[in-house]
Order: sequence, then structure tokens, then C-alpha cells
Amino acid sequence: MSVVEQTAKGLGEFLSQKWGKRVAIENAELASAGARRRNVLFDAVAGSERTPLVATIVPFAAMQLLPIEVEASHLELAEAAGMPAPHLHAVCSDASFVGGPFFVTTRIAGETIPRQVLRLVERTPGLGPRLARQCGAALAKLHAADASRAHALIARPNGDPLDAALANTRRSLDELLQPSPAFTLCFNWLKRNRPPAPRRIAVVHGDFRNGNLIIGADGLRAALDWEVCHLGDPMEDLGWIAQRMWRFRNDSLEIGGFGTRDDLRTGYQEAGGEGDEARFRWWKAQGTLRWGLGLAGQAKQHLDGSVPSIVLAASGRRVAELEYDTLMLLRRGFE
Amino acid sequence: MQDRPTASELLTTIADLLEGDVLAATKGGLQHNVRVAGNLCRILEREARLGGAHDAREIELLADVLGEPAGGRSARDLSAALAARLEAGHDAALEKRAFPALLEIVRGKLAIAKPGHDDYDFSGEQLS
Repeated sequence: MSVVEQTAKGLGEFLSQKWGKRVAIENAELASAGARRRNVLFDAVAGSERTPLVATIVPFAAMQLLPIEVEASHLELAEAAGMPAPHLHAVCSDASFVGGPFFVTTRIAGETIPRQVLRLVERTPGLGPRLARQCGAALAKLHAADASRAHALIARPNGDPLDAALANTRRSLDELLQPSPAFTLCFNWLKRNRPPAPRRIAVVHGDFRNGNLIIGADGLRAALDWEVCHLGDPMEDLGWIAQRMWRFRNDSLEIGGFGTRDDLRTGYQEAGGEGDEARFRWWKAQGTLRWGLGLAGQAKQHLDGSVPSIVLAASGRRVAELEYDTLMLLRRGFE
Repeated sequence: MQDRPTASELLTTIADLLEGDVLAATKGGLQHNVRVAGNLCRILEREARLGGAHDAREIELLADVLGEPAGGRSARDLSAALAARLEAGHDAALEKRAFPALLEIVRGKLAIAKPGHDDYDFSGEQLS
């Protein structure tokens, strides 16, 4: 029996128990198989009722940082806040059904692969700016959610979120296998240009960007991948979606390769979000540096044998891209 | 001297094989890994041609920023020395000297690792 067939069998047993009626699983299909998550699309058929669903499975218990209920709770919190997110149907921490803990959500049609998203934008007049505004509005709604209602185990910064980010960056710099004076220079800029802390701590998606969004001709349909959702500075999310690496070569459009910073800002403010230019800029630089250090860390995981992978090895040779991006972002400060 | 084909020629041959017949004969996750392997061969091919000159220029630039003779030190050692100096406390003159040198070094690395990445100049999204 293939992995997908085994998964379908386990999902059928689980949903039959959960819903108290016989549920057949049809059209099961592996949508993506990353190191951290496996997504299986399927139809749950109970009598004459057919429900299109997705199971998000953590393949190995060891890869799981937090109980699966925590990630699932973020989806519910987002939906309640009015942010487009897949509706949660069930959570299961029992690994015996499908070989790992998992949750089941509504399947939403649309594009998620960045280049296909950009192609859709190209052939749909007005979609790019609309999408960037919708992204702004979606983030404003999430950021307006009451952070005290988030799951008790949600990741939270140790103190001020900017200080916590600086401390994490410092640690990553110290762990580099070879020194990067370019990153050190950028870290100096971050320390010197640290803006005041935000007035309030918000629920932050943490990886809201082209590639983690379901998009149709009508625009943003859902935000995916809530694994790194945490409490922090809302401007972190705005700085992250503005990173060059999420533009997929469409460099002139700062937001995901489809919209401008003004589009994003307009959507954010119209939905009640309060932007802060200084913190946006700071998080944008921090995000670029963090991703560069993250790539170096991936290469290290390959080299020290903890996760042997040619993809992680190749990440090491991508570090220069992020050194270039950080230097160019901060160029005016050093010229 | 090794016999022909050179390292650069062999790496091109391996990349052609990976990106041609091997890619066509694989699918899914393995196909992705084959694509990555092909690209790494292209990087190594450029490194075989350009790496020596790049390393020499990097050493020259770093020694110049530090204001010291390279004294036979490697690019890695000189980078560590510069990173330590940059961390030692705010030295605006050092940072100003270091910036163009570091940008040139990074452009040299990109000529090997990702040609064309530095075509985009970030005008309009300057942060400082």
C-alpha cells in the first residue's frame, strides 16, 4: 500500500470515529511533501455528502516543536478575527492513524505556487494591486485579534520583540561556520537604528508571503502555514512580505512581486491597522538578515550531518544573495 | 597539470547529464534534487574558472579595509579580523571603508553562485 493509500485509510478511520458515521476517503492526493509538513488533499464522502478537505500531517514526531493543537488553534483564531484562513475541521495528536499528528481543514481552490500566482496576476487586470491591498487588510485583521485569546503555548518573545530578534540574530551570527563581515555590518545598523518597541503585542503570522497564500482571480482566499505564528510586533509581518525573495524575479513590485508598498499600506490602514514606517523598515532589514543567516544554518545542518540533504547544502551557496540584498537595502547608511 | 578535460569542462559535462537524461528519467522529490545537483555543478564550473581571481581580489580588498598587509592570511582569516573590528564598537570611518569593499566581494561571489542576482539595485526601497 502506498503512503497516500495508507494515509487515506487512516483518515477514513479517524473521520468515521469523529463524525460517528461511515466516512469513505476518495481522490486522495499528496499535494506537497516537505521536511516539516505533508499535505494530503482528499474528499470525505459520508452517504451523499462530499466534503473537499486537506490533511496537514507532521511526518515525524521529532520535527514537531509544539503540540499540533497549538498550530490548529491559530487557524481558529485567524478565522474568528476575519482573516481568510482554511476552516479547521479536526485535530488529532494520535500518530497511529496517519503516521504523525495532523489536522484537517477545508480545501480551498486556487494557486499557491509563486510563479503560477504571478502568471495569474499577469493575465488578470487589476489583480496585483487588489491582492496587495487584501494582504494588508488580512494582516490588519489578524493583528487586531486579542492576543490574550491565543493558545497558552503560542511562541512569544522573551521581553521586547525587537530586543528578542536582536538576541536571536546575534546568536545566529555567532553560530556561522565562516564569518560574514557583510552581515556584521548589517547587524550594527540594526542595533543602531532600533526603533522604540510597539505599543502592543499582536498575533503575528510569521511567514505571510507569496507561496503561503491561496489566490484566485478574485484575490486572496486564504493564508496557509501557521507553524511559526507567534506573539510579537505586527510590523514584522509587513516587513516579511516585502522581502525580495518572495517576488520570484518580479523585483520591481516590492510586495510578493504583485503589488507595491502603498497598496499593502492602504489595505492595512483601511482595515484599521496602524502602520509604523520606522519599525517596518527595521523588520524588513532584520528579515533579510535573518533569512541569510537561516540559509547558512541550513548548510550547517547538512555539513554537521544532522540533516544530510543536497537542498540544504545548496542553501550555503545562496547566502551571498542575502548578503547582497542586506547591503543594498542599507546602502545609503554607509555611503 | 591534469589532462583535458579540465575541471570546468567536466563539470559542464556532468551538469548536462543531470539536467538532460537524469532529469527526464526522474520525478518528484528526486527530480528536484537532481535539478539542485545540476545547478551546483554549474556553480562549481564557474568557481573552477573564476574562483582563484575572486579569492585573490577578496584578500586584497579585506587587507586594504583593515589597513594591514595580508601577510599570507586567507580570505577567511581576514574576514574574521574585519568582523571582529566591526563588532568592537561603532567606527563610522571603518564602516564607510568596509561597505564598498564588502559589496564588491559579494558581487564576486554572485558571479559564481548566482549571476544576475545583482542586476537589481533596490532603488526605491532604501531603508536607511
